[in-house]
Amino acid sequence: MSLRRLLRAPFDGLDRFCARVFPPEWNPMAQLGAIGWFLFWIVTVSGIYLYVFFDTGVAGTWRSIEAITHDQWWAGGVMRSLHRYASDAMVVMVLVHLLREWAMDRMRGNHWFAWATGVPLILFIYVCGITGYWLVWDMRAQYVAVASTQLLDALPIFGEPIERNFLDHASVSDRFFTLMVYLHIAAPLLMLLFMWIHIARHARAKVAPARGLGAVILLTLAALSLAWPALSEPPADLDRVPETVPLDWFYLAAYPVMGQRGAAAVWLGIAGLFALLWLLPWIPPRPTPAAAKVDLENCNGCARCFADCPFGAISLAPRSDGRSYEQEAVVHPEQCMACGICVGACPTATPMRSAEEFVAGIELPDRLLAPLRREVQGAVAGLAGKDRVLLFACDHGARGDAGGNTASITLPCVGMLPPPFIDWILSRGLADGVMLAGCAPGDCHFRLGDRFTRERIAGLRDPWLRERVPRERVGLSWAARGDRAQREADLAAFRARLPALPPMVRGEKRARAPAPPFARRAWPKPLQWGAWVAVFGALAFGTGALAGWPSLRLLQSGEAVISLSLRHAAHTKVACKPLTPEDLMKLKPNMRRQVGCPRERWPVYLELLRNGELLYRGEHQPAGLWNDGPSTTLERIVVPAGPQSLTVRLRDSGRDQGFDYERRIEADLDPAQNLVIEFRGGQWNLAP
Amino acid sequence: MDAELIEWREDFRIGLPGVDQEHRDLIDSINRLHRELVVGASTARVTGALGDIHAAISSHFALEEKDMQALRYAEFDAHKGEHERLLDEILDILDDVTVTGRYDPQVLSSRLAEWFTGHFRTFDARLHRWLMERQ
Repeated sequence: MSLRRLLRAPFDGLDRFCARVFPPEWNPMAQLGAIGWFLFWIVTVSGIYLYVFFDTGVAGTWRSIEAITHDQWWAGGVMRSLHRYASDAMVVMVLVHLLREWAMDRMRGNHWFAWATGVPLILFIYVCGITGYWLVWDMRAQYVAVASTQLLDALPIFGEPIERNFLDHASVSDRFFTLMVYLHIAAPLLMLLFMWIHIARHARAKVAPARGLGAVILLTLAALSLAWPALSEPPADLDRVPETVPLDWFYLAAYPVMGQRGAAAVWLGIAGLFALLWLLPWIPPRPTPAAAKVDLENCNGCARCFADCPFGAISLAPRSDGRSYEQEAVVHPEQCMACGICVGACPTATPMRSAEEFVAGIELPDRLLAPLRREVQGAVAGLAGKDRVLLFACDHGARGDAGGNTASITLPCVGMLPPPFIDWILSRGLADGVMLAGCAPGDCHFRLGDRFTRERIAGLRDPWLRERVPRERVGLSWAARGDRAQREADLAAFRARLPALPPMVRGEKRARAPAPPFARRAWPKPLQWGAWVAVFGALAFGTGALAGWPSLRLLQSGEAVISLSLRHAAHTKVACKPLTPEDLMKLKPNMRRQVGCPRERWPVYLELLRNGELLYRGEHQPAGLWNDGPSTTLERIVVPAGPQSLTVRLRDSGRDQGFDYERRIEADLDPAQNLVIEFRGGQWNLAP
Repeated sequence: MDAELIEWREDFRIGLPGVDQEHRDLIDSINRLHRELVVGASTARVTGALGDIHAAISSHFALEEKDMQALRYAEFDAHKGEHERLLDEILDILDDVTVTGRYDPQVLSSRLAEWFTGHFRTFDARLHRWLMERQ
């Protein structure tokens, strides 16, 4: 997909930058998901702290948060800011994580599961964030409450507009507020469940970033919290409308769109975006390469493939072929990514075997080992001298100009290469050095290939590379796709050190320590530190800034709002009349009654005039399946402040002319005042 | 027909069915190779057979290690270390034939017999005793 290629270029650049600036274990690009988990826990812990001091009643909420923020700025204030900024950072993390997985094409084929279960997390994050802003109950919360309910009212869920809960100061109830608190607690709990499902198919899922990186993130957020504490707006006052609200653009960016384009456009946008995200793994559909296959003749159920599968795609089952073994390996094709790491783990995967077409206990049908053995023999045929290198590169890491006297073979993942192949190549003198080249450290396309390869060679993980293999003849190069320079430098350094090595002596025992690592092409230390300060500083500044800037202007100065609210059941269309015996006979016996009253009501026609000029008119259908409920609406109309004479009138009896109810109001509106005119219970009410 | 190079004995039995079966199969493989050595098999044939023995013993050790770990065998580390040493050794034997292109049937046979039964007499016997005491 060309869009993916387009996305890939900046991420390749970012990977290269991170490789120069961060020590490999700190590379944030390789642990975005783990950073997300860490941020989640920061938000959780700070949230629990805030909840201890939080008053869940409408009246006490704002005051309690002011007390948390100012009376204990050193604890509660910091916690509050951490709560906000870590939540904002989570949005950034999710966005980068999503785009990166997309760019790396890690959502199609069998990767779909983590992708499809990750998408709902976005929804949960937004529910958490929006309800969180609501709970502060300041002017911004008021805007969020009104706008959110308007958004929800655009969906055919609620019989009556729930925006009415925020009509005026009298209409907000403690109970509605308690509901919000529960939502704000329930959403993250559900989110945690989905986070767990999201990584359920990952063996050894990384759920915590490197400690040092975690500390830097926490310190950065803490510094941001002290420098730029999260503060409340003035307390919510439903009798007024805020002229401007500082908007958290990470969470509330859709709200101004609603102001401009309407709620339907926002819902369409959200639905379209989510549908697209969900469908991405299948457009265009791409089947995963053939899943690994177990050969029972060569499998004794030793469990090494089971232990090494990064995707939990292998299980052990009772023996099915009558041999005396207890178990056998079973591949679950729907989970297999065809990385081949299991092949690298299989003890029968050795090229010393006699059969031309030998088969290991587990193999990738698209990359069999017997042809690989022939490929090795063919590849080294053209090499000569004392620096012959056989390079095994993975399909996903850096490529580069291999240079002279190097033969290269690609595998889905370097973790697929069984260590006996290295032993065989070197002990038979097929090459002077074997180089394994994979993705950036800790950032294996198949999650664990780099780690397992390193551990097998160091004798820390089965199958060990035999002790007798001279480690200085085994080169390990880890470089991200975008980092050709590192790969080429590693290869050149490896090739250069080979001629000077002592010849291999059979039977000689050697230290199992891994070969000396290649020099990391890092920037000079001061530049690295400068880059850290710049990166984390920019992230902190960006987070702090976008959490409240630019503000959203809701009213021009000198404007006020009239909230026109209606909840009224109009007259029924047909008057009640006594039923004739014929009518009665048509009814079922239990439905027969003396008087028939068809329930359908007239719509309510409503008008608002300002200084004699028509400002609003609308016809509102009765609610209910049988059109027998009340007609309801809530309109917010912006008007210039100052003295004005208003007329509201409505008809509810189906008449064409004239009005059934009418009221004239002489009002002097303050700027930003919210004047509520409500028709309810057959009469006009004004507030404040 | 000559006596087998290695005779299976009941006291070789460890008590893990899969492992015991593999021990018998390995003895068969080594005996078969021995018979071929005696009649002067080609070095290619010998290295091939040694390679197959290497593959079989690798997966055998893997299975035995899995069982030992599952049973929390106290001497696992020492036993595992011996396995790794033996795997190095069979490859050294294999290399000797490959590089020199010839072999002395008697030397090779006795080296193989010692390589295999030495482990039996010591480490596997210890594992067997431990399993018996456990029961």
